[in-house]
Amino acid sequence: MNKRIYILLIFLMLTSSIFGQFIGKDHLSISLFYLQKTELDSAKKYIDLAVEDETLNTTAKSWYYKGYIYKDLYKDREKSNKTSPLRLSSIKAFEKMLTLEGKEEFFVSTNRILKYEASTLYNDAARMLDPANYKLAENSYFMFKKTMLLADPTIDLKSRDVKFKLALASMLNRPSETANELDSAQSALVKELYLEVLVLDENNPAANYNLAILYYNDAADVINNIDYDIDLIELDKIQDYCTETFLKSLPYMLKSYNLQYKRKETLVGLSNIYYGLIDMEKSEFYKKELEDMEKEY
Amino acid sequence: MKKLVLILVSLFILNSGFKIGVDTNSKMKAIFIMNFTKLIEWPASYREGNFVVGVIGSSPLYSELIKMAKTKKVANQSLEIIKFEEVNDIAKCHILYVSDNKSQDISSVVKQVKPNSTLIITAKQGLVDKGSGINFVVKNNRQKFELNKKNVEKYKLKISSNLEALAFSVK
Repeated sequence: MNKRIYILLIFLMLTSSIFGQFIGKDHLSISLFYLQKTELDSAKKYIDLAVEDETLNTTAKSWYYKGYIYKDLYKDREKSNKTSPLRLSSIKAFEKMLTLEGKEEFFVSTNRILKYEASTLYNDAARMLDPANYKLAENSYFMFKKTMLLADPTIDLKSRDVKFKLALASMLNRPSETANELDSAQSALVKELYLEVLVLDENNPAANYNLAILYYNDAADVINNIDYDIDLIELDKIQDYCTETFLKSLPYMLKSYNLQYKRKETLVGLSNIYYGLIDMEKSEFYKKELEDMEKEY
Repeated sequence: MKKLVLILVSLFILNSGFKIGVDTNSKMKAIFIMNFTKLIEWPASYREGNFVVGVIGSSPLYSELIKMAKTKKVANQSLEIIKFEEVNDIAKCHILYVSDNKSQDISSVVKQVKPNSTLIITAKQGLVDKGSGINFVVKNNRQKFELNKKNVEKYKLKISSNLEALAFSVK
């Protein structure tokens, strides 16, 4: 009997020493206690309670540590998850923190973590650039930008935007380089991306060249697929469409020519576009320039 | 990050290619010629056997017509495409297309086809006044045609009123 009492007493002493230390402590402090011990699940449990607590959820510290703990959890559990919810929660927490008084204390560390998280988002966006996942890649890239801007609101991401849009357009356009064709929706999406690149950088050679080819191929496809039996009234309508499309292609290919981008392919392009426009004189002019260039080599 | 940037760079330098094997202008002309076979009536003796389209000189249209002949007929007549190198080689045909490099020989061509019911088609400015029945012209970057009724009807060919309506100009 005595033995049982001793065991009970020892048990009560141990439990009170563990829980006793939390008496009078808030959820944030408890969370930090567990964070120090790298017990992340417990740290998460208490930080989640802390940011629900009216007395704690207006302090920058609570939200900073929420971002910090979720970042550690992301690194520990979801690093291979390209759409990690933990990472997004971490960024959201830092975003909230940056709106609160007392944020200055956490600036340096927050910037470092946000830049780290942004780099993982960028890498994941690049890894997801395939036909099945490109929408997720776009989301990831959007979050990369948002995160970078949180870390540094003055940062210029224009060149990154151009690179990403070009990479995305090129990936989506790949079926047109093989036997598969792009459907009209895909073609419109790729064109839209190149046009967006040109808004950012009107002299981008790849966007100009590829856009010209997309428009040219649209018209060439239509002509290629016309039935020989079509009547002349219908043919007139098709000619109108194709001429307009060749004319859309022309300025982009001329720009590519002026930028001296891929000279040989651009000369072929100009010759073909003018041929499509039945301007044989100009078509021959660029064909001759191409022949002369080939003679030089 | 650097590695990923490299992946992105390698992705965006990939470029699209032109659709190959599309001769846009020849396809248009072939469709016009197919329409002419429906809108012009040949004498009864020409409505049996193959429907012959001749091409004199060198033109990318020849290849397009060969392609068309593989799948299309004129009423119940099979299409036959023949290439003539010289004016003297020209044999009896329903339609004769005079290529650019032979357009200076139009007078000789007209003499050569005189005994037959042949529609002469050209693609050079002014030839509609020199014996051609139909001359392809380009207006606002679009393929059109001029019609010289006299030059068609003198070969005992009947022109549908629809063809006249569709012509850019009628003489």
